[in-house]
Amino acid sequence: MMALLSAHLSAQAPELAISNDHLLALAAILFAIGVFGFLVRRNAIIVLASVELMLNAANLTFLAGSRMHSTSEALNLDGPVFAIFVILVAAAEAAVGLALVIALYRLKLTVHLDALNQLEG
Amino acid sequence: MNPNDLDFDLLLTPGAWTALWPMITIALGLMMLLAAEVVSSLRPFRSIFFLATLGVAALFELRILAGPESLTDTGGIVLGGALVADATSAVWGLIFLIGTALAFSYSTAYYSGSEARYKDEHDILMLTCPLGMMMMAGAQDLVVFFLGLELLSIPLYILAAYKRSDSKSVEAGLKYFLLGAFSSALFVYGSALLYAELGSVSFGGAAAALAENEMGSLAMTGVGLIVASILFKISVFPFHVWVPDVYQGSPTPVTALMATGTKAAAIAFLLNAFFLLPSSAANLIAVLGIVTMAAGYFGALVQDDLKRMLAYSGIASAGTVILVIAGALANPESLDAARTAALYYIGAYVFTITGAFGLIALFERDGQRFTRLTSLAGLATKRPAMAAAMTIFVLSLGGIPATGGFLGKWFVFSVLVNANMIGFAVIGAVLSVIALAFYLRIVITMWMLPADEAHPIPGADRPLIAGVATAVCVAGVILTGILPGLFI
Repeated sequence: MMALLSAHLSAQAPELAISNDHLLALAAILFAIGVFGFLVRRNAIIVLASVELMLNAANLTFLAGSRMHSTSEALNLDGPVFAIFVILVAAAEAAVGLALVIALYRLKLTVHLDALNQLEG
Repeated sequence: MNPNDLDFDLLLTPGAWTALWPMITIALGLMMLLAAEVVSSLRPFRSIFFLATLGVAALFELRILAGPESLTDTGGIVLGGALVADATSAVWGLIFLIGTALAFSYSTAYYSGSEARYKDEHDILMLTCPLGMMMMAGAQDLVVFFLGLELLSIPLYILAAYKRSDSKSVEAGLKYFLLGAFSSALFVYGSALLYAELGSVSFGGAAAALAENEMGSLAMTGVGLIVASILFKISVFPFHVWVPDVYQGSPTPVTALMATGTKAAAIAFLLNAFFLLPSSAANLIAVLGIVTMAAGYFGALVQDDLKRMLAYSGIASAGTVILVIAGALANPESLDAARTAALYYIGAYVFTITGAFGLIALFERDGQRFTRLTSLAGLATKRPAMAAAMTIFVLSLGGIPATGGFLGKWFVFSVLVNANMIGFAVIGAVLSVIALAFYLRIVITMWMLPADEAHPIPGADRPLIAGVATAVCVAGVILTGILPGLFI
């Protein structure tokens, strides 16, 4: 399995490869879009989706980092492993988040975050 | 570590087992509770399972505290550098276990109706929290910390919204969830940037990479994002605005756990990940700490809801405790003193704030809204024991000598003084004195104002276990206040 992965990495045609800088930049843009969406949008579902976007930007960065630090002899798998855990946790988080949104909808008949106004001091 | 030479016999050394047993115990206890869910003959023993699990886990923590050779040989680092189990992490673990046991004791009689009927789910989620906290406090690897963080946060999101027919509780849960998910995302992206530059997510690997090269801008941004997410978790200015809402809306026993556990575990992580922080950040962190203290104390002065008041007081405590990080950054030799100060401060704080929130939980029983400051009026004549206990907690929060809160603050400020940051220590002390005004307001309301006959104080039917928990909290506050030698 390991050998297969290494072979795959080293067999990549250089002219097809996307540079690591481009990967990092793409991830940064995705992350910025996620932060922007989180701060600006008021629909709970969209806000949740924005958080997912931020997490996926992180995953992309992990994979880019793994490529930067792997050689054809030794793969650096810290990043991909972290990314797998992030995917797992994101699923759990989404489940809880959507359940909370449903609880909000049952009480207020809306998923708009402006409905969260009972606890202002 | 190269995954190609992954060898489980090398990883799971006897020391690793010693380090893991507290967590394994809690995981087994969780399974017992889940089994009690379906096997109806086990149901009456759920509380015993819960407390026994915490008790056994505490015994395993004590074994780590005793420093067996299998652990001290490697400096407590086990599992290929993923986890540390030394005296510090063992004391953190004990603090988490005590905090959870106290919060659980207060929760036993708190809920009513369908919430009481489904309380087993509540207990399972609550027992997951110390597992997450232990992983956070012992983490030597960003993955382990992240998993611990989520293992703590996700149950807390659910617990905050546990009263799902109460729109305030749901609002608290959703707010906590959205902001918590945001800060987790910051943490993950920060870790990713750090990894992209250093090629490792373990502290050992990162330290080795940093020894060769200066930290570049990518890693610097990563560290900034990680620290921001931690400051968010411990509710430091400017990330503190969510705290009062969430603490007010959540069920009170859950608030008690939230107020202590998250904060303690995140501080423990910051002290472990200390080497990542640039020493030039000392002044910035000290300023943040002082501003947070001011925001907490002055915010508390204008509140009239008890839970919001205690929430602001919790913000102020977060500000106080991060001062030890500033002190340790300015004077790296004082890192051990900073660890002790943080442990002592938070240890005393767990007894104080859990006791205070617990008493509020007792007032609040049976759906009665009893969280206004004015509703405490005349408590001393109706329920003198409760008023006396509350007074002790409030005085400890205010930092009156002979309470744990005073000595905790004393240790924190002495770390600052040793680091030559006397100015910050003086401002902090002055702020603490100003804060007394607001703490005394609670005491005066309880002891000097006549009772409001229109809103009588609820009856005296309190469960035995909650009384025991209160006694433990009072004893803890006083012992940490007058016999520090017992704990250091």
